[in-house]
Amino acid sequence: MSLMSQSIASGILIGGLYALMSLGMSLNWGVLKIINLAHFSFILLSAYVTYQLASVYGWDPFLAIIVTVPLFALGGMALQWAFERFRISEFESLLLTFGLFIIFESLATSVWSADFRRIDSAANPYASSSLTIGPISLSIPTLSAFVLAIGIAFGTRYLLEQTHFGRAVRALAHDREIAGAFGVNHRTVSMQLAGLAGAYAALAGVFIAMSSSLFPGIAVEWFGIVFSVVILGGLGSTMGTLLAGVIIGTVGAIATVVWGPSTAPLVVFLILIATLLFKPDGLLGAKGGI
Amino acid sequence: MADLRFTGIGKRFGGVRALDGVDGHVDEGEILGLVGPNGSGKSTLINVLSGHYAADDGSITYGEANLTDLPPHRIIETGLARTYQIPRPFSTMTALENVSVPFMFGANPLSPQTARESAMEWLAFTGLDSLANEPIDSLNLHQLKYLELARALAARPKLLFLDEVLSGLNPTEITASIEMVRRIHSSGITIVIVEHLVRVVTELASRIMVLDRGKVIADGDPTLVMQDDAVVTAYLGKRSKRAEG
Amino acid sequence: MTTTNRNTSLITLAFALVLWFMPSVRETLDFPVFFLLFGYSLFFWIAQASSWNTFTGFSGYFSFGQGAFFGAGVYSVAVLAVKRDWPLLFTFLVGGLVAAVIGLIIGVVVFRLRKLRGEIFALMTLAVAFVMASVARVSPAIDGGQGVPVNTVELPEFLGDFPTMIFRLGLIVATFAVITAQSVQRSRLGWGLFSIRDDEDVAETLGVPTFRFKITALLLTAFIAGISGAIHSLQIGYVTIEDVFSIRVPLFVILMSILGGTKHWMGPVVGAVVVVTLNDRLNRAGFQEISDLITGGLLILMIVAVKEGLYLRMRARPLRTAVGFTAGLVIGFALGALDESLITLVAYGLGIAVLAVMLPLSWFARSEPAVTDDVEEVASHG
Ligand SMILES: Nc1ncnc2c1ncn2[C@@H]1O[C@H](COP(=O)(O)OP(=O)(O)OP(=O)(O)O)[C@@H](O)[C@H]1O
Ligand SMILES: [Mg+2]
Repeated sequence: MSLMSQSIASGILIGGLYALMSLGMSLNWGVLKIINLAHFSFILLSAYVTYQLASVYGWDPFLAIIVTVPLFALGGMALQWAFERFRISEFESLLLTFGLFIIFESLATSVWSADFRRIDSAANPYASSSLTIGPISLSIPTLSAFVLAIGIAFGTRYLLEQTHFGRAVRALAHDREIAGAFGVNHRTVSMQLAGLAGAYAALAGVFIAMSSSLFPGIAVEWFGIVFSVVILGGLGSTMGTLLAGVIIGTVGAIATVVWGPSTAPLVVFLILIATLLFKPDGLLGAKGGI
Repeated sequence: MADLRFTGIGKRFGGVRALDGVDGHVDEGEILGLVGPNGSGKSTLINVLSGHYAADDGSITYGEANLTDLPPHRIIETGLARTYQIPRPFSTMTALENVSVPFMFGANPLSPQTARESAMEWLAFTGLDSLANEPIDSLNLHQLKYLELARALAARPKLLFLDEVLSGLNPTEITASIEMVRRIHSSGITIVIVEHLVRVVTELASRIMVLDRGKVIADGDPTLVMQDDAVVTAYLGKRSKRAEG
Repeated sequence: MTTTNRNTSLITLAFALVLWFMPSVRETLDFPVFFLLFGYSLFFWIAQASSWNTFTGFSGYFSFGQGAFFGAGVYSVAVLAVKRDWPLLFTFLVGGLVAAVIGLIIGVVVFRLRKLRGEIFALMTLAVAFVMASVARVSPAIDGGQGVPVNTVELPEFLGDFPTMIFRLGLIVATFAVITAQSVQRSRLGWGLFSIRDDEDVAETLGVPTFRFKITALLLTAFIAGISGAIHSLQIGYVTIEDVFSIRVPLFVILMSILGGTKHWMGPVVGAVVVVTLNDRLNRAGFQEISDLITGGLLILMIVAVKEGLYLRMRARPLRTAVGFTAGLVIGFALGALDESLITLVAYGLGIAVLAVMLPLSWFARSEPAVTDDVEEVASHG
């Protein structure tokens, strides 16, 4: 039983990380109508940069944020600029970023090789540290990611619902032309939003570097989880994404305990199918969206 | 008796009730004018009757056939075809290929080769034969509307819905088009025509049905209907308001 | 849109028949065994790309599921022929059928949703490959994570030595895939799919049975990809989940079809020939490292700059293609490509021809019209 409660607790926490990985993807897709596979590359590269800064230059891994966040925010903006410049449709974006994804993966391979990389434990005191509550122990990197994910989800929600920028974004998500008629400069707004999504990818990468081993092929393995979270949460829905991340994390953890680790993807996939069949607009429905 | 009958048709879009309990019928051989102010539900009614949208409520029969739950591709087999108010051509095909597609499907499907030959006849009928092998983006709006018409005729309908095919034409073109609609009608095709131009409707229609905010407010002889109080306030009232603003 | 007729398929068949005898005349004509293996590689990718395009290119529904269908074929042989001693040739057929059943399940589940958007379909097909990989990994009856040695299976003797056998098997499937694509393109099924690609709702109201057509096309794709994968298991030798269900097959199939063009059956064929030839030569010259970079870069370039694909471009600019190809041959010859292999020489020709048609049209705009007229005249005389 304590194994089960431990797994559920870890599952909930890892769900926070999933949400963090998925949030930018969801905004890109829901608002900007771009299916950005390069989002996975950003997470991967951010993780590698964190690894590099911590292992090679001896930085505290948390500090890597001051490099990766601006870097990938800029990356996101640059990509969005190019999408607008070449009038890329939703469909073409999938293909085009697939090309980018391949390129980034091979760049990562040539810089960091195809071998497993992990921040030295000396440089990463957080990896082995944990918070113990009764029978349950919570790893610090995942716990931080969880807390951050909640903070970011609520922060983003505030941003989208209460600020001028948020109103512009919602207008854009609803109808690009009408938004333009009301004076929303969609190019500026969409670049800002893409920058935000890039920053979220960067944060997710930092926490991944702190808690697990890296190799270039790992990014493909995230596809299943992230897309399941994005679709279950509903495109562009911040609260939906958070909830979906926690659900997928928990269900995956339970499946691992009950049927073994390799069944987790199967269960996640079944959830994905069920969502598409019964709740195509996501958990919170169309109203949960921004 | 191949009459189209529909009762209690309802269709909502989010909060908007585009159609709200619409009853009506189209008799074989007539030209029915379907009129109403902007947004009154004319196109939505055509969309529902032709199967483009499923109705939320109500039932539709055409002769013996119950169309209510028929998949859209089966509806055209019963002899119903329509044009789209905003033309929706197949964008990667030529004009000729657009018109040949319906010949390959429906009740009497032709092979792609014969379909092309038959398609040419309808292109000629609508005066588009010189554009047969042009890509779609070289056609202007007027030509696209005629292409809609040719493509609908290629489905070999018994009943044809025309959704504002004449709007945006100049007076000479309108006269020619009215003539064209008459010829289609006299070839044995029942017609439901949606048009904002009163002249067109009164000249062509043998009966008029008026929609306002998703409801039928009048149905009958053209001259009587156009003098009906409800119609004057709903339809003409709005038009005069629009003229002021 | 361009049409294709029955004669095209007869010509394809005749061409395949000539190729069939390649292995028999190999010693007389004195060309290396490697040519047969290279030929097989071409056939494999032509079959995969053509089959993918028959559904995705024609209907517009983007599928990442090629890896799943291919993998179903590979593992049908691994499980049935290796672990259960079923007759090898029969397991090829089973591989195709298993893949088709998977395609049927995906199709029936997904296409029932009338509101379904193309992007969601794409992701579903991606997920299916992941799930199949994880099922294979947990189930010892399929793989169990150990891999399966297909090279232990006994090959039927009447098919000749391994290079001859694999060459001919590949040829059969590639011919079947290409002729299927041609037949679909000129049939009602093809026109129905094209109209689905352009506007599915309008297609349906004009009488196209969209559900049935999408399922039919998906079945064809899956079946061919499955058979082709089954045969390919022999070429792989030792099959592992990581290799079989990697993103490589869908990636290359997508690249080839988009490169060649998805609107015509010839597009994937051209794309496969160009990619396989150039890729093979680049790897041989020691550029494996950058081949992924080139692959990704080409994909982006095509989407941004050459949306209609190489084949339609080449047809619209026959002169430029011919000049580019010849120039490539001459350059290759001058650089001594022929000393290495005929394939290297052809690779030069293809590479330069591709570059020539990809250059912005405006660079040639002034001289082009006159030149095109010339070509047509020559063609009508000849
Ligand atoms: N696809 C749709 N989504 C949401 N609302 C719709 C849709 N189609 C129609 N509506 C709404 O339904 C109502 C009826 O529209 P419809 O197009 O049927 O009117 P109409 O009588 O054809 O008008 P018009 O004369 O301008 O063509 C309108 O309020 C319209 O905004
Ligand atoms: Mg209308």
